[in-house]
Amino acid sequence: MSETTPGDAAAEAASEDPATTGDEEERSDVVLEVENLRKEFGALVATDDATFDVERGTITGLIGPNGAGKSTIFNLISGFYEPDAGTVRLNGDDVTGIEPYKIANRGLIRTFQTPRKLEGMTVREAMLIGPQRQPGESFHKLFTAPGAVGERERVNMEDVERILEEFEIDHLARQPATDISGGQMKLVELARAMLAEPEILLLDEPVAGVNPTLANKLAEQIRRLHEQGTTFLLIEHDMKFIMSLADPIVVLDQGSVLMEGTPEEVRNDERVADAYLGGGGV
Amino acid sequence: MSTITDPRGYWGELTGEERGVAGFLIAAVLVLLGLMLTGVLDPTYFLFLFGLGGMFGLMSLGLNAQWGYTGLINFSVAAFFGLGAYGAAIMTASNSPIAGDMNPIFGLLLGLVLTAIVAVAIGIPTLRLRADYLAIASLGLAEVVRLVILNEGQWTAGSQGLRGIPQFFEGWPVLSTLPETLPQVNIEMIPGRVVTLGLPFWRQLLNVSLVLAFMVVAYLVLRRAHRSPWGRVLRTIRADEDLAKALGKNTYFFKMQSFVLGCLVMALAGVFFAHLQLFVNPGNLDPTNTFYVWVAVILGGAGSNRGALFGGFVVVAIREGPRFIDQLPPAFLTEFPPEFLRNLEFITGDILFELPSIAISPGPLQLLLVGLLIIGIMRFRPQGVLPPQRELIWPDAVDEGVRQGPDSGVREQRGGESDE
Repeated sequence: MSETTPGDAAAEAASEDPATTGDEEERSDVVLEVENLRKEFGALVATDDATFDVERGTITGLIGPNGAGKSTIFNLISGFYEPDAGTVRLNGDDVTGIEPYKIANRGLIRTFQTPRKLEGMTVREAMLIGPQRQPGESFHKLFTAPGAVGERERVNMEDVERILEEFEIDHLARQPATDISGGQMKLVELARAMLAEPEILLLDEPVAGVNPTLANKLAEQIRRLHEQGTTFLLIEHDMKFIMSLADPIVVLDQGSVLMEGTPEEVRNDERVADAYLGGGGV
Repeated sequence: MSTITDPRGYWGELTGEERGVAGFLIAAVLVLLGLMLTGVLDPTYFLFLFGLGGMFGLMSLGLNAQWGYTGLINFSVAAFFGLGAYGAAIMTASNSPIAGDMNPIFGLLLGLVLTAIVAVAIGIPTLRLRADYLAIASLGLAEVVRLVILNEGQWTAGSQGLRGIPQFFEGWPVLSTLPETLPQVNIEMIPGRVVTLGLPFWRQLLNVSLVLAFMVVAYLVLRRAHRSPWGRVLRTIRADEDLAKALGKNTYFFKMQSFVLGCLVMALAGVFFAHLQLFVNPGNLDPTNTFYVWVAVILGGAGSNRGALFGGFVVVAIREGPRFIDQLPPAFLTEFPPEFLRNLEFITGDILFELPSIAISPGPLQLLLVGLLIIGIMRFRPQGVLPPQRELIWPDAVDEGVRQGPDSGVREQRGGESDE
C-alpha cells in the first residue's frame, strides 16, 4: 500500500481534486487535507476552523500548548468524533464523519496517547490484529475456506516476526502483552500500525512517558519507516524529539492553526513563543 | 488424538491448571461410577442429571462466546434458552396451538430462527452503544420474552405449558427403535443390590446423546472461531473497542456475530431441554437460570470454552446435589448431623445438643452453596478455574515445534534458523 509511486498518487490526487482551491493545486500531492474543521463541546470550542494539509512523504508535526486541541483534531480526522463543521479529505475523498474503521480501511491508521493493553494476548497475538482484510476475520470462511485462512495467518505471522525483528523487540514476541513496559508498548503499537500498511500514520504522543533510549529508538524507527514511504502526522510535547524529526510543523493554539513552517521558522516565531507562555517550551 | 496415542506426552504438555481440572474430573467420574455400581445413584437418573449438566454447559458456552470473547453482557440467557425450548415445543408438542406433532428437526430449526431474529432485533439498537446498554436491554428482554410466552396463549398455550413433546429421535429410522433392541443388563457389585440397565436407561442414553452431539458441535465451532483472526478481533473488542476500530475492524458487525452465535448455542440448550423434559412452561424461563450460567462462566474462566463446559456441570452438581441428599437411601443419611457427630456431644456439650433440631432443606442449601462459590472464586481465583492456557493462533500458522517445546529454548532455536 505504502509503495504507491508518487506519480500515480499525484495523478490520482489531481484528478480527484477539481473542487479544491488554487492554493492546493500547486502542491497537489496531498494525502490528508483538513479544512475549516470545527468541534464544540458545549461552550468550549475545542477545534476552531483548523485548516492544514499533510503532504505525501512528509513527517508533519502537530504541536501546541496543552488544551490547544491536538488530540481533538486527531479524533476528528480518524472519525472518533464527528465534526460540527469543516471537511477532512483523504487522498481527495471526503471522509468527514464516516466511521473510524472505514477511515482505517482507506489507509489512515492512528495510535492512541495511552497505550491500549490487550489482556490475555501475547505480543505477537496483539500484533496479528494489525493486518487488514484478513480472510480469517470472516466467520464463515473459517469453515468454508480454512486453507486460505491458515495460509494468510502464516504469512501474517512471518510479517509479525520480521517487523518485530526490525523493531528489535522480537524477544518480546511471546510475552503477555500486558507485561511489557510503557515504552515497549509504544513500539509494539507502532509496529502493529505498520502491519496495517497505512498510507498515513497518525501518532498521538509516541514518546510520552518513554525513557530517552527508547525514545531515540522510536525516532529511528519513524525515520526508517518514513524513508520506506509512509507519511506521518504526529503530535508530540517533547520539543527536541519533534524538532529533530518533523518537517513541516503545524502549530495549534486554542483550536486553530497558529502557523505552519519548518522547525527553524517555528522556533523563531514570536507568536509560537507567546502561545507557549513566554517561550518556555521552545 | 494424542491422548490415545501418547498419553504420557499429552499429560506432560498440560499446564498445572489443566492437570488439576483433569484430576478433579477423573475423581468425580470414579466417585459417580462407584455410586452407580453400588446402587446409590440410579444410572437413569444420573443420565438425566448429566443432560442437565450438558444443557448448562451449552448455555455457558454460548455466554462465553458473548461475554468471554467479546465482553458483551447478556442477562437474557434464560430468554434465549426459552426461545429454543418453545421453538422446539411449538412444532412438536401434542397440544401446540399452532403446529404440533411435527418432526423435532423442524422444532430445532424454528427455535434457532426465532432466537436469531430476536438476537438481531435486540442487537441493532444496543450493540452500537457501550456494553452497559446491552446489559440493561437484555435484562428487560428476558422479562418481555417470558411475559409474551405467558400471555400469548394462542401461540404458546400460556401458563398451562406445552405437553406431549416427543423424544428428539422419535420417528428416526434406526435410532427410534434402538433402545428396544438393546438387552437388559444386570450388574451386581454388592450382593443383594442389583443395578439394572433396562429400556428406560437406554432411552435416556439416546436422549442424552443429543446434548452430547450439540455440545461437541458447539465446542468445535467455538474453539475454531476462538483461535481464528475472527476471535482475535472479538478479544480486541473486549479489551479495547476503540483500538479495534482504529485498526479498521467493523466492531459493530463483529459484536453482532458474536452475540447471535452465543444466543444460538443457548437456544440449542433449550431445544434439548424440551426433548428431555417433554414438557415446557413459562416457568422454564426463570431468570435465576441466567445467573447460574453467569456463575458457570465465571467459575470456568472468562474466554475459556472448556472452562465454560466445566462450570456448567459444576453448577448443576451444586444445584442438584443438595436435592439428591434427600433421595439417598435411609441407611446413608437420615438426620443431620449424622450419628457419629452426635456422639461427640459430650465433648462440646450444649452446642451440639441443639443441632439435631436444625432442618436442612435442599433449597436454601443450594443457594447458600452457589453464594459461597461465587465469593470463593472472586476472592481466591478471579480469573476462574481454567482460563485460556495457550496462545490463540490459527493452528496451521504455528510451527509444531513451537507448540510443543518449552518457551525460551524454542525461540532461540527459531531465531537461529532465520539467521541462515
